[in-house]
Amino acid sequence: MNLDLGPEALEYGATARRALEAAGGDELLRTAEREPERRDDVIGSLLAALGAWELTPREHPEELEAAAALCRSAGSVALPYPVAERLSRSSDLDADGLIVVSDANPAAPIAGSALRWTALDAEGRRSAVTACVPTGPARTSSFVGRLELEPLDDRGAGDLALAVVLPCWTLLGMLDRALELVRAYVLDRQQFGQPIAAFQGVQFQLTDAEVERAGLEELAKYALWSIEVGRPEAADDALALRLAAIEAADIVFRVAHQLHGAIGFCDETTLSWLSRYSGPLRRLPFGPAETGDLLMRRLGRSGLVGIFGGGS
Amino acid sequence: MSVATPAELEAFRDSVRDWCRSHVPADWRTAQTGVGEDEHVAFQKDWFQELRQAGYAVPHWPAEWGGGLSVAEQIVLYQELAAHDAPRLVLAFVAIHHAASTLLAAGTDEQRARHLPAILEGEIWVQGFSEPEAGSDLASLRTTARRDGDHYVVNGQKLWSSGATHSDWCLLLARTDPGAPKRRGISYFLMDMRSAGVDVRPIRQATGEWHFAEIFLDDVAIPATQLVGTENDGWRVAQATLGAERGMTMLELAERLGHAGFRWLLDACCRPVAGGRPLDDPAVQERLAGFETEIQGLRALCRGLAERHETGAVGPADASIVKLYYSELLQRMTDFGAEVAGLPAQTELRKPASSGWESGAWVLDFIGSWEWTIPGGTSEIQRTIIAERGLGMPRGPER
Repeated sequence: MNLDLGPEALEYGATARRALEAAGGDELLRTAEREPERRDDVIGSLLAALGAWELTPREHPEELEAAAALCRSAGSVALPYPVAERLSRSSDLDADGLIVVSDANPAAPIAGSALRWTALDAEGRRSAVTACVPTGPARTSSFVGRLELEPLDDRGAGDLALAVVLPCWTLLGMLDRALELVRAYVLDRQQFGQPIAAFQGVQFQLTDAEVERAGLEELAKYALWSIEVGRPEAADDALALRLAAIEAADIVFRVAHQLHGAIGFCDETTLSWLSRYSGPLRRLPFGPAETGDLLMRRLGRSGLVGIFGGGS
Repeated sequence: MSVATPAELEAFRDSVRDWCRSHVPADWRTAQTGVGEDEHVAFQKDWFQELRQAGYAVPHWPAEWGGGLSVAEQIVLYQELAAHDAPRLVLAFVAIHHAASTLLAAGTDEQRARHLPAILEGEIWVQGFSEPEAGSDLASLRTTARRDGDHYVVNGQKLWSSGATHSDWCLLLARTDPGAPKRRGISYFLMDMRSAGVDVRPIRQATGEWHFAEIFLDDVAIPATQLVGTENDGWRVAQATLGAERGMTMLELAERLGHAGFRWLLDACCRPVAGGRPLDDPAVQERLAGFETEIQGLRALCRGLAERHETGAVGPADASIVKLYYSELLQRMTDFGAEVAGLPAQTELRKPASSGWESGAWVLDFIGSWEWTIPGGTSEIQRTIIAERGLGMPRGPER
């Protein structure tokens, strides 16, 4: 069993990251906050040129891996665009994207999107979506708006796993970047005549964060593989991944902020933007408590099957 | 300072309660939400004067300067102010704690006579310590002060001076002897913020607020009479100021956390959400019980510290222990508040000005909690102090 992404997928992800960097990198988010209505034009077109919307991750394993790699690259610049959500679209509905929602307060970062969206709840019920305009500016809403739902059917259970897993790959990309940023910062920042990275108290915090990030990366690959081989428990694996992703994000951003000091809370730093825009991914559709609760209810007393638990 | 009997203490509590009932503005939370800077400053100054007239503004100061309450009475006062959800003195904080403790510990009679009454009249102070290259390593600061006749000429840049835009005076550290070992060439000044050459630039934070500021100093003349302590002895004087921030200020904050913060947290747990109240969940009950226990521990630590402060028996790491305990507890409590209050809390991005560190706008409170684990000596610095000065571990690289 090889859980690693294939070389083509990795190459696709790297190409996407280079293209995003060439198009402005972190500046894409700053521009989108100023001109939220141009997101579809600027970023949607850029991703179309990369062939993103031709990927059919639900049909082809290689394209599933490419989709995951693309989400990770999008996360690395906190790309203000619902990439994972578009790539998760159901294959049997005529829509542009699929969003997992909680029954209470359905919301998603698709404010202003002219695309056709479908919503899916944890029970497999699908709805057509009207995205409401957020009450505040992008700076405070992070493009999240309330959704109005019109029930369609209850045949979406099989769609759940991918729609939960791909946004976790976006979050993974954010954690990769947060660690890159904090690593560079502690090596650069001089106090007491040396880089603060020389202090073991700083190193240990960084290593704790990296252990979380590395664990999440392995789980993300496993949950993707679970979908790829069609394991019946793929949705359980997806929710377990989500719980781990939220917990890892808490630790990684906590460490990144503490080690950056006050500057990390100012928009001069990329960390400030990254951490702010990680919010919707961490709280929507369900926060840690609800994700854990959902997982417990699904698993009952049987527990997760896991890589070596039989399954195939 | 008199020590009150239990009966006297209860009588004092009754009088504070009566005062709170008639003086805490019922609508201040609503009125202070979304207000402009000028309104906020005016409200803070008015509230300070209300407290001052009652003898509650600076209870920790010596009686001759307008304070004189015992530790027990201060605790009762802070409990009742928190329990009645009184606004906090956020703008006067540096003045009544850091400036006052510096003046009382190291100022001249003339400096005390000039500044302590002025603080009671409403003068606002800011701390000018940190610099772009001198955060945790404060002693490496580069702002210079050169003696020129009867004054000093100051040049440099200060960073993270919270509230500098409203300040009248600044507690300033500057290097007076560039050739001396870094801690021995620093002096401590009182700087008039209206002096020529002082330029304050607010810094926008991720929350959208403009609380932080940079102070640029360009040939600012400070009269030599505004030097605190002797030239090049500023590091030692600064330790007294930071000690105050880490120590005595905690008495109020611990009572605030216990009597207001915890109550807000309980409120959040009692609000109905889909499927019932969070409070009915055993996992939530367990967390609340844990916080309540930790708050009791914090209050005991603070009380012990304040009492030892009065008898001069404070241990070298005591204040750091309290700061670390408080800041990390505050961070976990506000984090839990943000979690338990659910999605609506994530979009509640306005909190009343003049409220405590735990206002019930949990996401902002959680972000704000980093103002405790980073400034005034980061948690890493506190741990180093506890290890080296408290536990006698070997010292790290030269600081």
